[in-house]
Amino acid sequence: MIARTQKTVRPGGTRARRSLYLQYMVEPFFYLSPAIILSGAVIMVPLIIGISYSFQSIELLKPFASGWIGFENYVDLWSDRKFWIAVENTAFWTFWSITFQFLLGLGLAMLLNTQFFGKKLFQALVFLPWAVPTFLSALTWAWLFNPVIGPLPHWLAALGILSEPYNILGDPKLAMWGPITANIWFGVPFFAITLLAALQSIPGELYEAAEVDGATPWQTFTKITLPFLAPMIAITVMLRTIWIANFADLIYVMTGGGPANSTQILSTYIFTTAFSKLDFGYASTIAVALLVILLIYAVILLWLRKKLVKI
Amino acid sequence: MPAVRKTNPALVVGKYAALAFYLIFALFPLYWLLKIGLTPDALIYSEGTRLFPSEITFSNFTTVIFQTDFVAYFRNSLVVSLGAAFFTTLFAAGAGYAFSRFVFAGKRIIIALMLVTQMFPLLMIIAPIYRIVADLGLLNSLTSLIVVYTAFNIPFATFLMQSFFDGIPKDLEDAAMMDGCSRFQALRKVVFPLTLPGLGATLGFVFTAAWSELLFALMLISKNDAMTFPVGLLTFVSKFSVDWGQMMAAGVLALIPSCLFFIFIQRYLVQGLTSGAVKG
Amino acid sequence: MKKLLAGMTAAAVLMGSASYAETTLKLVEVITSPERTEVLQGIVDEFEANNPDVTVEIVSLPWGSAFEKLATMVAGGDIPDVVKMPDTWQALYAGSDQLVSLKDHVAGWDHGATLTDKTVAMGSQAGDLYMIPYGFYLRAMFYNKKLLAEAGVDAPPTTMEEFKAASAAVSELDGKYGYCLRGGPGGTNGWIMFAAAMNGTNEFFTEDGVSRINEPGSVEGIQFMIDMYQNGYAPKDSVSWGFNEIVAGFYSGTCAFLDQDPDALIAISERMPAEDFAVIPMPVGPSGKAFPTIGFAGWSIFNATKHEEEAFDLVAALSSPEANATWAKRVGVIPIHKGADQDPHFQTEQFKGWFEELNGEQFVPTTMPTNLEQWGYFGSTLLLETSQEALLGQRSAQDVADEWAEFLTDEYAKWQANQ
Repeated sequence: MIARTQKTVRPGGTRARRSLYLQYMVEPFFYLSPAIILSGAVIMVPLIIGISYSFQSIELLKPFASGWIGFENYVDLWSDRKFWIAVENTAFWTFWSITFQFLLGLGLAMLLNTQFFGKKLFQALVFLPWAVPTFLSALTWAWLFNPVIGPLPHWLAALGILSEPYNILGDPKLAMWGPITANIWFGVPFFAITLLAALQSIPGELYEAAEVDGATPWQTFTKITLPFLAPMIAITVMLRTIWIANFADLIYVMTGGGPANSTQILSTYIFTTAFSKLDFGYASTIAVALLVILLIYAVILLWLRKKLVKI
Repeated sequence: MPAVRKTNPALVVGKYAALAFYLIFALFPLYWLLKIGLTPDALIYSEGTRLFPSEITFSNFTTVIFQTDFVAYFRNSLVVSLGAAFFTTLFAAGAGYAFSRFVFAGKRIIIALMLVTQMFPLLMIIAPIYRIVADLGLLNSLTSLIVVYTAFNIPFATFLMQSFFDGIPKDLEDAAMMDGCSRFQALRKVVFPLTLPGLGATLGFVFTAAWSELLFALMLISKNDAMTFPVGLLTFVSKFSVDWGQMMAAGVLALIPSCLFFIFIQRYLVQGLTSGAVKG
Repeated sequence: MKKLLAGMTAAAVLMGSASYAETTLKLVEVITSPERTEVLQGIVDEFEANNPDVTVEIVSLPWGSAFEKLATMVAGGDIPDVVKMPDTWQALYAGSDQLVSLKDHVAGWDHGATLTDKTVAMGSQAGDLYMIPYGFYLRAMFYNKKLLAEAGVDAPPTTMEEFKAASAAVSELDGKYGYCLRGGPGGTNGWIMFAAAMNGTNEFFTEDGVSRINEPGSVEGIQFMIDMYQNGYAPKDSVSWGFNEIVAGFYSGTCAFLDQDPDALIAISERMPAEDFAVIPMPVGPSGKAFPTIGFAGWSIFNATKHEEEAFDLVAALSSPEANATWAKRVGVIPIHKGADQDPHFQTEQFKGWFEELNGEQFVPTTMPTNLEQWGYFGSTLLLETSQEALLGQRSAQDVADEWAEFLTDEYAKWQANQ
């Protein structure tokens, strides 16, 4: 990262001294304040209120029937079968989405880092999926997977992956792959863009030197490319994982969490509890659980990063 | 002189095959969307799996544009997305600049808190936000959406802007300040022109995010003429039949601005992130 | 929408400098389609013409998220005056004292006397007349004449056993199936009907308030549905099929039998020639009876309204015999006033199935226990997930029935306590 240089000391008298003070203490906040105030008011405050709901019993339509019940919601959560299924599904969903998004995104970034005919147009088109509203892409993919009106099941059957064309969204063993595919389609551009940027910042001389030394492509990749990409990889993977874990739209539109809860992740479970059962207290409890899981994940990742950087 | 590597034809073929794969993968679903929008209603189910419809009709598009409130939804979305993009970029630029240039107390904490705001499903704060907005009398107003979207996007936009600022040498504004400018003037005259790519990229990113947001638009706005287009799309789904042709036609129309915007700015995103990463 | 705005502007101009005491009523409709909104708008325009100092603002909520949306609106204080909502929500809102009792208003209404008894009974399910239904949805069985002929089935089935045999026959045909099973959202009615038919009764609870859904007969009915799926008499994907998929399955000729309400008739007749299908009553069980489910939607007024009189006038206009007849025809429900079934529109072959059900003694219309507060949750989530598990073979019919019985008995006890 850029070296944080010392504040340059200006020659001069009182004005300089006062402005020094300003620079150190107040000036940053002058630039920061709109951002902080807005996030604080709109997100942090409701977040705290939201967390407080988890300690209450709340029924949306009976505002006077609510009351503080302490940890009761959490106790219920622990023995809730659906909750643990949702945790497992969330892990499956997140892991496979990230893995494929990352690998395909990396591949795309590396391709874009070379020269080829029509590159400018290609680059503009291949990033388009990110610009598509997610529920629209969910609908389109649901359509593509439906054997009555979409080609995919027939192609999959022809390739031998499916025994006969049917809708994988209705098969509890395969249903999750539908939203995952849509998620991969959507997320590859994100990784491609960020990794491409990182790739382009690797000094060319390093590659040339490696070539002169007779390194194989694999060695070049593992000894030069990867280490340089590591910081960017760490940040993007962490951010994207968090977003994906929270990302309910695709699943909600494509399968609604079914069949039989096979695609129910924590976010969709929260949604149905909050808006079908109108139980905001319990829904907040699940949300807090999700928050805690993600916090632990982030801490571990940051700690790992620190360790790796030292090496 | 670096040795010239002999190009292996197999590699070249492989590379173009890979490129073709990525392109088809990216564009096929969009093509499908367009195809359904152009298919007449009666043929939608019977011709579902064909790659090209036997008959093309533009009636879905004309119906959507002239006979529904879609134009109003479109306009509302435009207002909200541009508004959110503008304010987010403005505030995030400020915050990103602060994180890039200054060391100050509490910096780590603020960054950590911003990260935390990304970590929980937004639908959890819908109820409190709904109450607050209702109490302020801002229900059914586009302003409430702009405020909410701006707040949600600030953390990531700040990260982007910080990266862009990191790519601009500090010495530039230091030199300007030594010549007698205040920091703010230095910003305006020297740094600002250089961050244009970064600003453009952030604008595009937030615009795209705001354009497709559904949940809060659905909950905070109930008046038909204040709806944004994602909510409007839902009205094509009635209890009794889904008007697929029209819905997809509306979807294609809605895609155009966000895709155009994104095509335009993606170059800057890569460019800006690169220069930031260089120093990184 | 444009017409409404123009109408409002015109009204405002006409009022001129006079009273600014113009009343605005907010009307929320949740079961919308462009067609319905158009019909509604027509009736509302007429009402506004007759009541120049009242304007009506129509808010149409997309059905898929209407429940959440309305709940959020009400919780947030943005409460409408008049709402058109389904029977299943009645208990919830009436139970939290949000609705106005319409009994006195109806007593003073010209057309109050011609409302059929059924109408008044249904609207009073939550303990008092909280809703004026706008029509009834009654289940009957659609069947594909061509497919049955192809499969060698001579006559449409009248009993459950015949129904199973006919489905099996059609499923022998390549790529075709017998029953358009609704395993996804909204499938509650199917399960309840099969359970009731095999159990010989449509009572949900015994006199002591114990749920009857896990009695041996009912479990047989649940098992019947599971067998249909697992034997391949319904398409594999149908485990997650919702309304759109079953109707599409029917009119695309993929499955031959479909149990639905009169409103599906509209969608199907647009896409299938009338000679290819017909409607018969639901097949009877071993006891010689069938229990088609009957549901309704109607108009309610929220307590928070500041203009109760005008709100009722609006509801009255919407429910007058002429308005209701128009509505029933365009929307596909059975009308609410006495004598409406004499209308030629309701005398066609397709509608016959429903009227046979209404008139035959072996067909006992079944109302869902919408007085139970959590009935909506039961149908949309609990039954949905557990029935899918059963269809997929993850759980047994008895197991699932026991879970339902436990939940329902609890809910009943809660309701009793509140009486």
